[in-house]
Amino acid sequence: MKLYLYGIIDSSGQIKQSIYGLEGAGVYNIPFCDIGAAVSEICRPPQDITEDAVLEHESIVEKLMADFTVLPVRFQTVIEGRDNLLSMMRSYYKDFKDNMERLHNKFEFGIKVIWPADKIKENIIKALKKEKKLDLDSSSGKRFMKEKFEKYKIDKEFEAKADKFIIVMDIFFSKFAVEKKNKKLKTENLLLDAVYLVEKDKERNFREAFEHVKSSRPDFKYLFSGPWPAYNFVVLSKKPGLFRDSEQADLLDKVIKDQILVGADSI
Amino acid sequence: MITNTIVETESPEEFIEEIEKAQDCLPKKIDANPKTVEKGLAKLVLTLIELIRKLLEKQAMRRVDAGSLSEEEIEKVGETLMKLENKMDELKEIFGLKDEELNLNLGPLGDLM
Repeated sequence: MKLYLYGIIDSSGQIKQSIYGLEGAGVYNIPFCDIGAAVSEICRPPQDITEDAVLEHESIVEKLMADFTVLPVRFQTVIEGRDNLLSMMRSYYKDFKDNMERLHNKFEFGIKVIWPADKIKENIIKALKKEKKLDLDSSSGKRFMKEKFEKYKIDKEFEAKADKFIIVMDIFFSKFAVEKKNKKLKTENLLLDAVYLVEKDKERNFREAFEHVKSSRPDFKYLFSGPWPAYNFVVLSKKPGLFRDSEQADLLDKVIKDQILVGADSI
Repeated sequence: MITNTIVETESPEEFIEEIEKAQDCLPKKIDANPKTVEKGLAKLVLTLIELIRKLLEKQAMRRVDAGSLSEEEIEKVGETLMKLENKMDELKEIFGLKDEELNLNLGPLGDLM
């Protein structure tokens, strides 16, 4: 029997809501100590990553979030049988408990910002033209260095400007977030790709902070998403917990390696 | 289908384009094909050489910026870096590799370059 895993929840009791999972099977809880794994039975793992399947997975995790603290797992996490699932729960019990405590009553929000990279570079080039240039004669080595140095100066200035904007934006967002993960300039245009962990009662403040940043730089483009389950903030130390059992220590790794996984940060 | 989650943007196409661009830097699957093993190995080796080349270049630029290289040293370093870059271009052409292919995903650490 294959079990499709949606998340680890902070309850060993029954799931009272009627939730239907992938292939229309009912979602139920497999308890382990005081926590549980929300699963449904499936005949075969989903072969294709379709938008509908991803959204279905996401909507089930969100329904679970209404009643429990959920440690969401990646789309297409399938475990072969109840025994393997329980072994994994046993190995990672302590990790799961630590994460639940950390993520209790918290959501994840995603913020992406596009800036006008071409225009910013153009301005940098204009400003650098006024500066004193590297005074090198025309031998090939020096010419090469001169070209590279000019590019280096532009890139350096471009990065410095990106850092400056990100620091300012982050001041507003971080005020209402407990944890964050930022990626700067994933592409030249994508200035910021960030996720913030926000307490449920700070959701409104966080949204207001976003609106404030948005209105202060209307020439940038913004994408705001959430609240999401805390996909990007579940941290596994990969140490088995509760019971020492070295054979089980790498079981989660094994389970994960056997599956096709989709990066949670692609959401 | 999603219950409370919202995705708000006035420029969805632009975000899709940038996200795709960021993802396209890396292959979705490892091409472990016996016919392409030579290219795969070349890609790995060239990626590492490219990393070292870029580090050398950056270090040289920092020193030029700080004014700690003499004219003679700049000429020597420039000549070396230029030859190294030309050699890399030749090797990339031989193995049919593009600049954006010379990268490695280091998992949680991000991309190598």
